[in-house]
Formats: sequence, C-alpha cells, structure tokens
Amino acid sequence: MTHEHIHPMIDKILKNIEKVMIGKRSVAELSIIALLAEGHVLLEDVPGVGKTMMVRALAKSVGANFRRIQFTPDLLPSDVTGVSIYNPKEMEFQFRPGPIMGNIILADEINRTSPKTQSALLEGMEESSVTIDGVTHQLEKPFFVMATQNPIEYEGTYPLPEAQLDRFLLKMKMGYPDMADEIEVLNRAQKVKPIDELEPVIDLIELRGLQTQIKEVHVDDTIKRYIVELASRTRTHASVYLGVSPRGSIALMKAAQSYAFMYGRDYVLPDDIQYLAPAVFAHRIILKSEAKFEGIRAEEIVDRVVSRVPVPVRRLVK
Amino acid sequence: MTSRKVQKDLMTFIMYIFGFLLLWEWLRPLEQLTDTSNIWVFLSFIFISLLLSFIGTPVIIGGCIKWVFIIAALDFLYIDEAFFQFKWVSVFITDFIESFQFVMARDWANLSNLFRSFLFFVLLWLMTYLIQYWLINRKQIFIFFFMTLVYITVLDTFTPYNAGWAIVRTVISGFAVLGMLTFFRLLDKEGIKKETNLSRKWMIPLVAMIVVSIGFGLAAPKAEPIWPDPVPYLTSYGKESGDGTGVQKIGYGLDDSSLGGPFIGDNQVVFTVEAESRHYWKVETKDVYTGKGWITSGSREVRSPFGSADQVPITSFFNRPGVETVKESSTVYSLNNNSHIVYPLGIKKIDAASFFSFELEVATEKIHSLEGDSPSPIKQYTLDYVVPRYSVTALNEASSEKNIVENNELINRYTQLPKDLPQRIQELAKEITDGKDSWFEKARELESYFSRSGYSYDQKDVAVPGDDEDYVDQFLFDTKQGYCDNFSTSMVVMARSIGIPARWVKGYTEGEYKGISESGSRMFEITNNNAHSWVEVYFPGIGWVPFEPTQGFSNSVQFNFDTASQSHDQPSVMNPEELEKDKPELKENNERQAASSEGSFKKLFVPIKNFFEVYWKWIALVIIVLAVLALIIYKIRGRWLPYYLTLRFKWTKKDENFQKAYMLLLRELERYGLHRKDGQTLRDYADYVDRFFSSREMGRLTARYEQLIYRGNLQKGSWKETKELWENLIKKTIA
Repeated sequence: MTHEHIHPMIDKILKNIEKVMIGKRSVAELSIIALLAEGHVLLEDVPGVGKTMMVRALAKSVGANFRRIQFTPDLLPSDVTGVSIYNPKEMEFQFRPGPIMGNIILADEINRTSPKTQSALLEGMEESSVTIDGVTHQLEKPFFVMATQNPIEYEGTYPLPEAQLDRFLLKMKMGYPDMADEIEVLNRAQKVKPIDELEPVIDLIELRGLQTQIKEVHVDDTIKRYIVELASRTRTHASVYLGVSPRGSIALMKAAQSYAFMYGRDYVLPDDIQYLAPAVFAHRIILKSEAKFEGIRAEEIVDRVVSRVPVPVRRLVK
Repeated sequence: MTSRKVQKDLMTFIMYIFGFLLLWEWLRPLEQLTDTSNIWVFLSFIFISLLLSFIGTPVIIGGCIKWVFIIAALDFLYIDEAFFQFKWVSVFITDFIESFQFVMARDWANLSNLFRSFLFFVLLWLMTYLIQYWLINRKQIFIFFFMTLVYITVLDTFTPYNAGWAIVRTVISGFAVLGMLTFFRLLDKEGIKKETNLSRKWMIPLVAMIVVSIGFGLAAPKAEPIWPDPVPYLTSYGKESGDGTGVQKIGYGLDDSSLGGPFIGDNQVVFTVEAESRHYWKVETKDVYTGKGWITSGSREVRSPFGSADQVPITSFFNRPGVETVKESSTVYSLNNNSHIVYPLGIKKIDAASFFSFELEVATEKIHSLEGDSPSPIKQYTLDYVVPRYSVTALNEASSEKNIVENNELINRYTQLPKDLPQRIQELAKEITDGKDSWFEKARELESYFSRSGYSYDQKDVAVPGDDEDYVDQFLFDTKQGYCDNFSTSMVVMARSIGIPARWVKGYTEGEYKGISESGSRMFEITNNNAHSWVEVYFPGIGWVPFEPTQGFSNSVQFNFDTASQSHDQPSVMNPEELEKDKPELKENNERQAASSEGSFKKLFVPIKNFFEVYWKWIALVIIVLAVLALIIYKIRGRWLPYYLTLRFKWTKKDENFQKAYMLLLRELERYGLHRKDGQTLRDYADYVDRFFSSREMGRLTARYEQLIYRGNLQKGSWKETKELWENLIKKTIA
C-alpha cells in the first residue's frame, strides 16, 4: 500500500514519532488509528521495548496532556480518578483531579492492580467521565488510554476480565526491534534523550477535527456485510468458546474508517478490514480449553477466518 | 491418536449404524453360499464391537468384553456345555494346538471348525476396528463402500446369491455414510461447530438425494445383461441342462415331464453344420401328454442297433406319389458331449468313423452313438437324407375313412390325452377348425391360430401350471404368452382332441447362417438358443408332416399346392434374423390393440417412437458430433473469447457495464491461470496480476473498480477512461 498517500497531518505525527521511535511504524500507525477512532489500546509486551516512549511521543506530537499511572497492587481507585480533600482554609471539600484527568494516559501494567481500581479506569474509558463522591466529572477530549500488560508475570496479577478486554479497540504487541534498529537505538541513547526535544506538530483542536472527519469516511454496505460475516464466522468456529461480539464488529468498522482516512481515502476497502481484523478481533475471542492446549492462538483463528470468508467483489443487489 | 475424543452425538450413532449395515452385507451371503450357520452370533459380535467403540469404552475393558464374547460364543457353538464349567478351556487348548500344527503344515483343509470360527471372529474384530478408524479418524469410507459393492456384484454374477436388494441397501447405507462423512470433513476443514441447525441443512438434501436416486434406480428400466449370464455358461460345460425348477437355461433338455417357467438365453454353440438347405434338426419325439408335460409311452431301453452307413430304421414318410423327395447330405460338427445324433426329418444314413455304431430308441426315435458298448459323442458325422415336398392334394385325401381304419392302432397311440383334460380345449379346437374337412386343413388352421389370436412369444414371463392346472389350458386361456413348448404342446393337444394323430418333436432350429463353406455348402451355427420343439401330424399313407405353431418361427416344410396351381409355394420361409426383428413389432401390435382406449396418445407416441427407432443412430451421431464440437470450442475458448469480449464492450460507454466487464476480466484471468483465493482482496490480486504481466494496468483498473463498489459512486465517464486498460488486460489473456 505504499503507493497511497498518507494524510499530511497524520504523516507529520508519524514522522515526529519516528524521530524517537525506531522501526515501529506499524505500532505507531495503529496507535494513531485508535486515537483518531476514539478508542483505546492494549499493549501487551515485555518491559523495556519502548511502550512508554511510544505513548509519550504520541502525546507530545499532538500537544496533549500526558499522564502516566503505574498500577500496583495497593493502588486505590481514588489514586486514579482523584479525590476530594477538605480544605480547612476555605471550609469545604476541594476536588483534586487524579491522573485520569489527562488527554493521553499510559496505564502501565494494568493487570497488577485490583479489579476495583481497574474498573475505575475502565469506567472512564467507556463513559468518558468519572464519578467521585456522587459528582460526575466529564473527561477532557480527546481521551486516549494506552494500557500495557506484562505477559510474562502471572503471579500477583489480576488478569482483565473478558468483558473489559472488549473495551479496548485494539490489542497489539510491540516486539523487539530488529538488529539494525536496535543499534540505532543505542546510538541515540548515547546523546541526550530525544523525547525531550520533541515538539507538537498539531494541536488538540486539529486532532478533534480529524476525529470528526473520520466519522464521514464511507463504509459501504458490502463492507459492512463483510465485517459481519467475519465476526459471525468467529462465533461458529469449532475452537472458539465465545466469538466476537457486535461491539467487536463496530470496533472493526471504526478502526477501518480511521485507517482508510489515514491513507487519504474516503471509503473503506476490504484490505483495511483484513489488515486490522487480527488486532481488533483477537483479544475478543475466548478459546475453548482444548484449543488452548493444542496451542492454537486467537490470532491464528482470525487469520483463518479472514482467508476463508470471500471478499466482496461486486455490489450488493438490493 | 494420543487423546481420542469420543463423539457421542446422534449423527455419529447413525453413522455407526450404517457402518454396521455395510458390514452386515458381507455376512448375508455367507449363510446361503457357504456352510456357515448361526450368522447371528457373528452379527452380534460386530454389533457389540461397534457399540463399545461408539460408547468409547477403554481399549482394555472393551477387549476383555470381546474376548469373553468370543469364548462364550465358541463354547455355545461347539461345546455346548455351561460356560462356567470351564470345560472349554481344555477343549480350546487341545484344538488350538492341533490346528496350529495344521497351520504350520499348511494343511488348511484339516483346520477344525472351532478354530476357523475363532479366526473369523478375529477377522471381524479387525474389520470393526477398521470401520471405526475409517468413520471417526479418517472420515473416509469410499474404499469400503466400493469393495462392498464389488463383493456383492461378483457374488450376484457368479453364484446363486441374488443381490438385487443387497445393492439397494448397500447404496443407501453407503451414500448416507459418504454424505455424512463429507459433512464432518467440511466442518473440520472450515473449523465450524457442529450445530443441529447446520446438520439439518445438510441432512435434508442428503436424504432427498438418496431417496430420489434410489427411486430412479428402482423405477428405471433395467438393461438386459449385455453378456449372457456367465454362470449357466460356465456350468453348462459337460452337463445337460434343465433341472425343471426355477429359472431354466435354454437348451436341449431331457426331462419334459414338467414344462413351463422362464428361460435364460444361452449363446453356447452346440454344433455347426454344412447343409444344402435350411431345415430343423430333430433329436427325439414324445407321445404321451400328462397335463404338465411330455413323457414316453414305451420303454427307452427298447433299442434297435444299426451301424455306420446302414439304413437308419426310421420311416418318417413313405416314398409314394404325394411326397416328392430331393436327396441331400449335411455334415454335423458337434461341439458338446451329447451322445445323441441330430438329424433331419428324412434321415437315411449316418456316416461316421467306422468304430462308431448307433442305437435307435424306438419309442422316441432318438439316436444314440456308441463306441463299443458305451455311449460316446461323435465330433463329426455326415447325414444322408431326403427332403420331402408334400402334395397338398395327397394330404387332403389322406384323412379318408378308409385310411383311418387301416391305421387305427397308430392313430390311437397318437391321439391319447389325459382323462382330466379340460373340456374347453376340445371346444376351442372344434371352433378353430369349424368348416374344414380334411386333417390337413384342420392342422393348418390350428397351426396359424396362435398368430391370429394375439398369443405372444416370451421366454421370461412364462407361468408354470399349478397342481390343479393343465399346462395347455393355462396357456390357451390364461397366460397367452410362452415359448415353443407352449405353442407346440398346445397344437398337439388340440389336434389330438379332435382326433388328429400328432406328436411332439424336440430338437433345434436351423440356426444362424454363417456363410458359404469352402466346399460350397452353407454353414449354420446352432446354439443352445436354437433349442426348439414343434409338431408332427400323421397322415395315413404319407407319414409325419411337421407343423410350426410357435409365434415368430417358421419351418421350411415344402408343400406342393398342386390343386390350385403348379407353382411351388413355400409358406413364408423366413430367416431367424428376420424373425428376431419381427418379434417386437408383433408385441407392439398387441400392445396397440390392448391400449386402444388411450389411442390418441399412442397415435402421437408411436410415430415418434418409430422415428427414433429408425434414426437413432443418426440422432446419436449428430448429438455426439455437436458435443465434440462444443467441447472443442470450449477448450480453445482462450483463443476467441477475449476477442469476443473486447468486441462486446467496444461500443458501450455506460458506466453500468464496468462491473460486468470487470467480473468478466476476473473470470478470464482465472481461466488464464491467475487464481484468486476467496479471501484475497482485489488490490492484492491486482498486485499479483501486475507482477505477473510486469504492468500497472490491473492496479489502475482495480483502483477505479474499488471506488465503484466500496465507495458506492463513480465519477462519470470512468468506464470510458478505463476501457483501454481493460482491453489491454483482456488481450493479455489470449492463449
């Protein structure tokens, strides 16, 4: 898809991120897609591959307010949302906003904290608002959460329930950089931290403008039908205990709109759907235990379904 | 399989049932064809084995159950002592040791039944395991299904086992299992869950398909076998046929005391002759009708011997005015081991190697050939005989009162009939011959009665008279269809009932003409299909005159109609070949008469049928030529289709044609060999095509097409702009 031109504004963001992130273009793209589609991202990877750097670079590029929450087992919901503190001078409770009151939030190691604290964050993600002491606080827009999950530590963790995984638009992996990229990383690390020198390339108003434009991207009925067929095929798959929900179908459509927009198109192609399907669908599928024992991964099932469902090549006859 | 998943759903159960039924088909013929009995024991074993495998019993427990079953069954079958007395232990051990020694000595015949049954159980065990393996693990059973069909058809062909319904059962079970296994394989391949809904969608068409195909198979007319049934052919070597019951094989039989029942054709050649003219070949005659068939009055042991080149002591007719004779001779080459001689009516001399002698059975006029004292077949002999031509005037005058009185004894012998012969036979005979005076005229009337009155020739659908039925009566009044025995016996009985002496003659027709031999005489080949029976009527002072009442046959007896004119009139002498052709027509005529009520439909149908019957070769040829042409055109479509397509879209400017054109292009590319997978997007495919052709046209065309179908609108004139791309691509697919 190299012959397509990336939307100039998004291109600027990508280039900006690339100044600090080396060789992770697809991750950066997916993050921007989620940001533009007003969804959230779950990053699953080992520590030290640049998850934080990624989010910070993205936040800086769009001039957003970046917050980071390091989840620990003893973290309380109020540590996330904020708390009302009695101010003796003014004789009243004053609300002190928590770290969730930002634009772009890195929720590090979300599976290490208690479900109660997790749900405080997840409520915010779903409703774009938090309720503290009976008062509902609207969250600033854009609001974008990038949660990370460490897949190798299982002890003392609280894995996210399936229903909550569904709230993330995308789940992706960072992966290690390849040899040449890693050498380049070392080169840059010798000098000053490049992240500090990063300047915003667009402002939040422009970002919100992009977000509204994305909703205008045309999704033809043939494409919608294709999405639904993919989703329903995951539901009837023999190795799947629970397939993709209609919320998953919506997520795929939104992500595809965002992706099409990024490539300067005002309509969605089956190619977009195919590219995004594993990232959008895989974490929404619950495998049967037999399938897990046989070492089948959800991504494989999505790939299989994608390769089996016929791509629409003619207009629907109504 | 490390973790054998046991499927216990209904579909699997049904599949096991059909597997069981298929295996059962292997056991069914055993009881009939071998000395195996108590098949149910083995069936129960199969059933239990499959049931255990369906339930998913662990191998060890299942194995124990099966062993116990085998031992108990063997105990029940051979020892018949209570199982728990454990007497079987010692019996088994001694028997097995003994049998094992026989096995080592390859002395298979001496194996005890106990041991053979044991081996059979082991074989069945293996088979049930195989079936389970095919059904559950491989999900393929075609080989087993096919083998079952082969097994059944081979048994049907070469043994008395009648597999008519076995085939139907096997096809039902086989199709059902194949259909279900295909369904399971598809589920597996596509990774789809088993759901009742989905199963129903598959099973209903499957059942419908089976029902329809079985229905068609049952309803469709079954073609007659192209080759004669090989079994009678194989068994007929060295043995004379005709066991009198069930389906008989056509041919020359010995026992005629119980006539009737269907015949199967048999092309085995009995003898060939070099003859100067066509005539029937006699073997023997019979004189006593029993109501069921023919027997001989005198003893068969009364024989008069004569030598080679002696005068044969048979006088069929007298050499007097009224019978002109022509001398002829024939050479017979016998191809079977019958020790009787076939001879023509006017036999005079038999010429064979001098060490042969002959005996005439006086009662039946059957001639046996002997070598020394024992019957011996002769491979080649020459017959000298005279061919009579009867004067009709003399025949008409033969039945005068004076003559009858003079020949009283002979006439009495050949007019005997059973006492309980139904009266209506005589009444019918009188009715037929009403108004005719002489025996000859009466006999001619009787001879032609059958063809006049709608009797038809049939070898298959021929009844056997019941205990209280008369063979002739049944044919004349009830069934009205039959073969030579029916016609000839009926004529003899009717003639006798009105006092005309007649006898029943057995032998062969003239056979099939095979061309001229080197010596200039005509060659005939006589097969078992030519076995025949006809009538001889006695005319005092003249002798025996043959008559041929059988529908579709004709004896070339020559009559001299000296009363009417001096021309030599031969009553309709026809070749057998012509006769063969005539038969269906005769039948058809009968049908037409029978179905006169639905005449209008027939009127339309018959010409069409005739047309097809006459021109079917041409029609078939034209169809084949057209089919071949169509196939060729289809095969070389790569050369002309692209031109046609470019022409077709050349002048269209409408954008609506874009989709049609693009889909055609996809099809052409597919034909060209550039395959697009189901899950491959157009863009991906376009990349692939462009890389193949080293072009960019497909990509550009596809980008436009994408806009059309995924964006929903297309700029005006898009098709016009992209038509060139499209044409270039289409041209690239030219083979």
